[in-house]
Amino acid sequence: MKTRTGLIVGGCLLMAYAVVGALTDTDVAPGGVLLFLAAVLVGHDVAWMAAVLAVGVALTRVPPLYRPTIRTAVLTAAAVTVVGLPLALGFGRAADNASVLPLPYGRNLAAVLLVVAATTLLVCVVRRRQAVRNPKDPPSGVR
Amino acid sequence: MVRHPDTPVSGRAAVLRRLARWCLAPWPAPPVTLRRGPLRPGVFRSRLRSTRMTSQLGVALGVAFGICFGTGLLSHLIQHPPGWFWWPARPVGLYRFTQGLHVATGLAAIPLLGAKLWSVYPRLFSWPPVRSIAHAAERASLGLLVAAALFLLVSGVLNISRWYAPMPFFFTAGHYWVAWLAVGGLLVHIGVHLPAVRAALTRPTGEPRQDGLNRRALLGGVAAASGLITLSTVGQTIRPLAGLAVLAPRHPDVGPQGLPVNRTAAGAGVRAAALDPAYRLRVTGPDRSVSLDLAALDRLPQYTAELPIACVEGWSATGTWTGVRLGDLVALVGADPRHSSAWVESLQVGGRYRACTVPPEHVRDPLTLIALRLGGEPLHLDHGYPARLIAPNRPGVLQTKWLSRIIVSGTP
Repeated sequence: MKTRTGLIVGGCLLMAYAVVGALTDTDVAPGGVLLFLAAVLVGHDVAWMAAVLAVGVALTRVPPLYRPTIRTAVLTAAAVTVVGLPLALGFGRAADNASVLPLPYGRNLAAVLLVVAATTLLVCVVRRRQAVRNPKDPPSGVR
Repeated sequence: MVRHPDTPVSGRAAVLRRLARWCLAPWPAPPVTLRRGPLRPGVFRSRLRSTRMTSQLGVALGVAFGICFGTGLLSHLIQHPPGWFWWPARPVGLYRFTQGLHVATGLAAIPLLGAKLWSVYPRLFSWPPVRSIAHAAERASLGLLVAAALFLLVSGVLNISRWYAPMPFFFTAGHYWVAWLAVGGLLVHIGVHLPAVRAALTRPTGEPRQDGLNRRALLGGVAAASGLITLSTVGQTIRPLAGLAVLAPRHPDVGPQGLPVNRTAAGAGVRAAALDPAYRLRVTGPDRSVSLDLAALDRLPQYTAELPIACVEGWSATGTWTGVRLGDLVALVGADPRHSSAWVESLQVGGRYRACTVPPEHVRDPLTLIALRLGGEPLHLDHGYPARLIAPNRPGVLQTKWLSRIIVSGTP
């Protein structure tokens, strides 16, 4: 109980330090930080999660044999896109600095997604063959 | 006359007990008719979610955020050192490692955070929404933790993509203070859920074999996503993996003289001053001052050092720098390089990083140079021509370019 109390009290103190520090730091625009905090929270909990749940429902229609593989592929593709999309959009490029965002990120992101798709296809083919050879084994991913 | 219904209390412990009782006192449940939409029972039916999986993701995420917080705090202290802080000049690539780790861990944490938030999403709609004052406070702190964690990862990705328009604040300061908020919220979260996490991770779960297989498959998928992100980006700081870094914001070989640039001479507004034939580097010490043109700097003993530029944005690249030892310039103006610090200023008129302090441990290091050449050629204008600071184990923003003045403070 002492550990838990210490963690909760310590955590509250650190949060208070963060608030006081941000309010007294002249480099911080508290309104801008609050707006961004609210935007990412609402954006995630409303828009992003709605899309994730819709994909989850669609995944229930995938045959159980392939479902874990497809789920991993979708998860990986989504995560890579979160990292790659701001680069592919290229808003950070600078006219006077060719070393900033120097690669063709749109093409590269598409190539990574294709690799994910090809690997997924390969794993699904292997799973199919295994299932044909051992028809008594239950498929994983049954929901 | 109204009597207080409670028995009189005395002493701090009794007051705390009453306060705890007040905080934990159950609130009346809201009308059931309000329980609609996602608040209805049985809306979230996926059997993939389990306390065990949430706990495992939470531990991994806690480690990732711990690494990011530790390395980020270190970077902040190096750039804004308080009196008690000390940062060595060796090993040469320590900062390169810690800041590379900071960015790589943050990127790898993206699928972890996504999976963790998905696994606990139904709890956002738990019924009743608030059970007591303590429950309301815990939910509020959890909301802050989620917002702060998303803030850190989203702003971090935008920063390395150099896309600042969506962020209505100065990135460095906002990222720093929200990191404290996240760590505080994380400690509260661990404190509240510690018994459930311990139980989920230590006791046999009794989960059906198929559920265990599915849980492991999902965790494997998260690990695969983190691995792929790392593999496609970490080559911006680990040179042998540069060929795989197809989604890295920088390539260690791309830039003037084969080295990336963060701020160009045109961007810093120093182009004319740097190319002025009347350029002089003024060095001021406790005993005397000297004013050196490029020819005079060239006549001083020259040394070559292999040192990395390690950017706060997580990329790094090694260059072969040649120039004058800062310690030699310090001795030239009558100070002892072993006990002196130097204030180095750029030709930049303004800007956050136009000047920096070089502490004694860096001044006396033989690898700390006022570089005039890169790869044997005069510095490219964007790399700091005519002269720049290059020192071991320092962030790139403290490797001041286009030097105009050095002020030495120390003992003769």
